[in-house]
Amino acid sequence: MAADSGVVPTGRAGRVPGEGSMWFFVLGDFWIFSCYFACYVHDRAQSPESYLAGQQLLSQGTGVLNTIILLTSSLFVALGVQAARASDIDVARRFVTLGGACGILFMLIKAWEWSTKIIAGFPAGTEDFFLYYFMFTGLHVLHVCLGLLILVLVWRELRKDRPRPMFVETGGTYWHMVDALWIAIFALLYLVR
Amino acid sequence: MNTRDQSICLWLVPFFGVLFLLGLAIFPGLFPPLSPTMGAEEVAAFYRENVAGIRTTMILFNVIGIGFIPFFMVIVVQMMRMGNPSRAFAYSYLSAAASGGTLFALADLAWLNAVARPDRDPQLTLLLNDLAWLSLVTPVGFIITQNLCLALGIYMDARPRPVFPRWVAHFNIVTALLMVPGAFAIVYTTGPLAWDGSLSFGLRMGTFALYIAVMFFVTRSAIRQQAEEERGVGLGLQAIA
Amino acid sequence: MNESVLNLGAAPGERVAAVPVVRNPKLDQWICYWSIPFFYVLFGLIFVLLARIMPPQSPTSSAADIVAYMQSPTLRWGIALLALTLGLASMASGIIVVQMQRMKGLSAALPYSYLAALAVAGVPGCLFPCFVFALGGLRPEYSPEIQVMLYDLGFLSFVGSLGVFTIQYLVFAIAIFLDERQIFPKWLGYLTIWALVTEIVAVPVWVTRTGPFAWDGLLSFWLGTAIFVGWEFLMCVCLYRAIKNQPIEELEHHGG
Repeated sequence: MAADSGVVPTGRAGRVPGEGSMWFFVLGDFWIFSCYFACYVHDRAQSPESYLAGQQLLSQGTGVLNTIILLTSSLFVALGVQAARASDIDVARRFVTLGGACGILFMLIKAWEWSTKIIAGFPAGTEDFFLYYFMFTGLHVLHVCLGLLILVLVWRELRKDRPRPMFVETGGTYWHMVDALWIAIFALLYLVR
Repeated sequence: MNTRDQSICLWLVPFFGVLFLLGLAIFPGLFPPLSPTMGAEEVAAFYRENVAGIRTTMILFNVIGIGFIPFFMVIVVQMMRMGNPSRAFAYSYLSAAASGGTLFALADLAWLNAVARPDRDPQLTLLLNDLAWLSLVTPVGFIITQNLCLALGIYMDARPRPVFPRWVAHFNIVTALLMVPGAFAIVYTTGPLAWDGSLSFGLRMGTFALYIAVMFFVTRSAIRQQAEEERGVGLGLQAIA
Repeated sequence: MNESVLNLGAAPGERVAAVPVVRNPKLDQWICYWSIPFFYVLFGLIFVLLARIMPPQSPTSSAADIVAYMQSPTLRWGIALLALTLGLASMASGIIVVQMQRMKGLSAALPYSYLAALAVAGVPGCLFPCFVFALGGLRPEYSPEIQVMLYDLGFLSFVGSLGVFTIQYLVFAIAIFLDERQIFPKWLGYLTIWALVTEIVAVPVWVTRTGPFAWDGLLSFWLGTAIFVGWEFLMCVCLYRAIKNQPIEELEHHGG
């Protein structure tokens, strides 16, 4: 219908994979998280000792493990998208499943990490750091949840006779963003000394 | 039209329902519920000692507080399919659901404020505590009206294949009656009608949980019925073409 | 039926007599639409200049400062004007629900959820906190302890009523993504998800009184408010296009 309104996202423009509207989301998400990170860096500079004291309580090993898991899952999803482009649907579906499984594993480890932190309690003076820790990782887990939902939709798309590669690419784009966000959070919370 | 949107709203029920139960499990003031006969000092001490638990539950309830609204709106949409003379009951149901949600949101704010500054004058903590419990337990009129409107709609459903089976109407009447005692927590501070009483609290909350669970399944069949009927119409149109 | 108003039943060729030609068939929608910028400008003036609720007063103010704030002469005037005009916010829900009902592939469940969620949200999220401030302003003889409680209750309810808005954003985003006609562009759906996320970022206002997550903090308040203002603005742009592009034949009584 001619009257159907709004800015129709111009998905197929150029070589950018996925829908334009998803890129709008990805870039905007990075922008918002940059605001969060800037705040964190600013606050950390005000009282570096207390943030350092909080940081020492995080297990770097767990952080590294989660990073590896998420990178692996991103690789699986990328392979899945490639297979879908090559119309190798069965392979694509298998890779997407593996990617999703890694996502679930990530969340389980995160839940375990949170519970140990909550049970142990926080020493006085590190509350600010842990507030940031829970907000950042919590928001990221929300993104992972949404990402798993999107992977389920992609998986269902791949069960159709003729799946739309655009849909699969869009889902992949989102999943890579979740991965990239985690790396930034990991660096800021676990590594920066 | 497909029924995907209604299914999404429907499946928000188990999602939010589990979170609600989780919140109740964490809440320290529930097993048993705080008694209305407790003195100010005692109540204030309780809030001071349980800041973390109360906060966690109430922040959770703040975020998911009106999470059942989409589900109630699916029931409204199903009521509109009924063979009723008008949509009066459906719109009444909508309005009652919204008003009931408002009271729950206010109760939550009162609880959160009671722990926002635990060193307040105990009299004020007591005031916030009472406001919270009364706003949670007593305004049963909205959910009762919802149930009665739905029951009346079902009784008057003139469709050959009704949207909801008739027993759902009886069920709604019974659950409405079971929630009546809640209102009298305003009058009584001891016994089964007080806000921590077996009738006003235990029966009312249990009934509500059962009500949501049962309505989840019957609404799911109603949506399925609608999908089936619309597919039937679609096939019929194809056959004509 | 009043034939001078409606001629929907008129047979073709029959002389369509005495039907007032509707000059602007979308007049009702445009009235609701323009109420939105009108209301939000007024809302901003009241909250920033008169009541000084935005930007929020500090969560760590001393009791003396709190009492002084509650007694400030413009506070009650601001809230009186708000009490007079907050109803205009309902017109925004009205027009958005009309446009949501044009969407294809979904029932009325999501528009009605939007309607109900906003009907709830107006009270805990705006009117109730304002009345709490009005209460503090009404009686200077309330003890400072009571004034502090009203102050907390006011600001925390205003900044910290979250779920009522998350549900509103959630159903709106779901509706945009399911809509087969793209009444609203998809990117508005994504923007709505951020608006939802910023509500969740405001959760710590209930826990902390200092730093970026306090009720006057950079992340809980300022970033959330910036995204809300951006959302509201782009929502208005999209809504304008949606109304403008709605075909006349689709209107219920288009008068000819």
